[in-house]
Amino acid sequence: MATVGFLEDENLEAIISRIEQKSRKIESLLKQSKPVEALKTALEGSLLKTKDERCKSANWIVVHRAIMAIKDVDAMFSSLDPEYYDILMKYLYRGLATGDRPTCDQCLKIHEKLTEKAGLGCILRSLADTINTV
Amino acid sequence: MAAVAIHQFAQCITCHAWSPDQSMVAFCPNNHEVHIYKLFGEKWERVHLLQKHDQIVSGIDWSIRSNKIVTVSHDRNSYVWNQEASEWVPTLVILRLNRAALCVQWSPKENKFAVGSGAKTVCICYYEKENNWWVSKLIRKKHNSSVTSVAWHPNNILLATTSTDGKCRVFSTFIKGVDSRESGASSSSNLKFGEQIAQLDLSFTWAFGVSWSPSGNTLAYAGHNSMIYFIEDVGSSPSAQNVALRDLPLRDILFVSEKLVIGVGFDCNPMVFTADETGLWSFVKFLDEKKIAPSSSKYGSQFSEAFGKLYGQSKPAINSDTVESSRPRGGAHENCISCIVPLRKPGDTIVRRFSTSGLDGKVVIWELDNSI
Repeated sequence: MATVGFLEDENLEAIISRIEQKSRKIESLLKQSKPVEALKTALEGSLLKTKDERCKSANWIVVHRAIMAIKDVDAMFSSLDPEYYDILMKYLYRGLATGDRPTCDQCLKIHEKLTEKAGLGCILRSLADTINTV
Repeated sequence: MAAVAIHQFAQCITCHAWSPDQSMVAFCPNNHEVHIYKLFGEKWERVHLLQKHDQIVSGIDWSIRSNKIVTVSHDRNSYVWNQEASEWVPTLVILRLNRAALCVQWSPKENKFAVGSGAKTVCICYYEKENNWWVSKLIRKKHNSSVTSVAWHPNNILLATTSTDGKCRVFSTFIKGVDSRESGASSSSNLKFGEQIAQLDLSFTWAFGVSWSPSGNTLAYAGHNSMIYFIEDVGSSPSAQNVALRDLPLRDILFVSEKLVIGVGFDCNPMVFTADETGLWSFVKFLDEKKIAPSSSKYGSQFSEAFGKLYGQSKPAINSDTVESSRPRGGAHENCISCIVPLRKPGDTIVRRFSTSGLDGKVVIWELDNSI
């Protein structure tokens, strides 16, 4: 039991340091005014293989930062590859779940465009998957 | 290609099956009865009414060679119906379940049938001549949830199941005295009854509808997350492909040929999937041509280079408010399609015709033209 706990702790630390790294990269991309690149960085590898809520929250703060930095939604979709659609949809629902007004406004705006692009199937994939939550 | 015949039989149909010569159709109008209709000239007329179950009939299968009907119901029982003179005589099959039976299928040789149930078990039933009795043998403790669909491999031994635990499994159903050692492929006939050959872990949510290709080389099943999964070489070295749908999930699927699959479900319109020469599966189109399918309605999640190509195309300019609401209207089906059945005459190897039924109470017959 002790070894299992130790391994998990080590994993958590590794995950947290990865998230910190990602956060720094996103900040620098945002400073260069590359919001779409920042969003891609945020979404990449962000499906955490852990159930730990602290990691998920830390990761969400980073992704939230990138989502809120998107000003032109149409321009974002013209350069965002479809492979990001399913994971982006998951974060949009997390954003909507916060109930925070500006976050919800932004998420709804992106949600509308994303649904137009990726269809209802994308929504179903994000809602049906209860194992790989974000 | 389109629907060649549409008939409204009831308010809602849970399942249906065709007689061997396809002159009659048996269906359950969402109650405890099974109605058998026959086509006289232009008009369908009810010729038989099978009343033995107490609750909703969830599965019907009509064997092609032996002309027997098997029905299963939420009342946890199954009946095998034999036609004697002009009457259908039922034989009770005690499945030994404590939850509803959900689906049924005759094995290719028609000496066994498989029942999936809400009791997390699969029943394999076979006839014992000595006792004049159908015996039910259970595959227990393999599924973690209800078994939503069963499909027989053409070798009469292997059975694929889908479950609401999200997994698709393949079992051996070898029964001593019923199956001979030579009957199946050499590798599969050495397996004991109930042995699990494979467990496919691709879906994270409910799985519905499973089907084998005519040769038994490819297996396909659908997930409630709007995905369809194709698995080649299940026995030896399985390789899987996922195809993500743009639209609502599938409920049932059917292999028309080795390279062509029809999927039906909540989108009220059958979808066509094909494999190209390299074996790459993709969505092709909706079968009901009244619905204009957007050209960008597909992408394979494993093949990111295909993603961009397919998704990048813009949708036809439709007002976004009308896209979803206008979707199911005007097609052959007006509600979720829950069942697809091949129309196959004895000895036929290729399916060109099949029928679908669903919550709108219609049975629709489709015919494939040569374009696919």
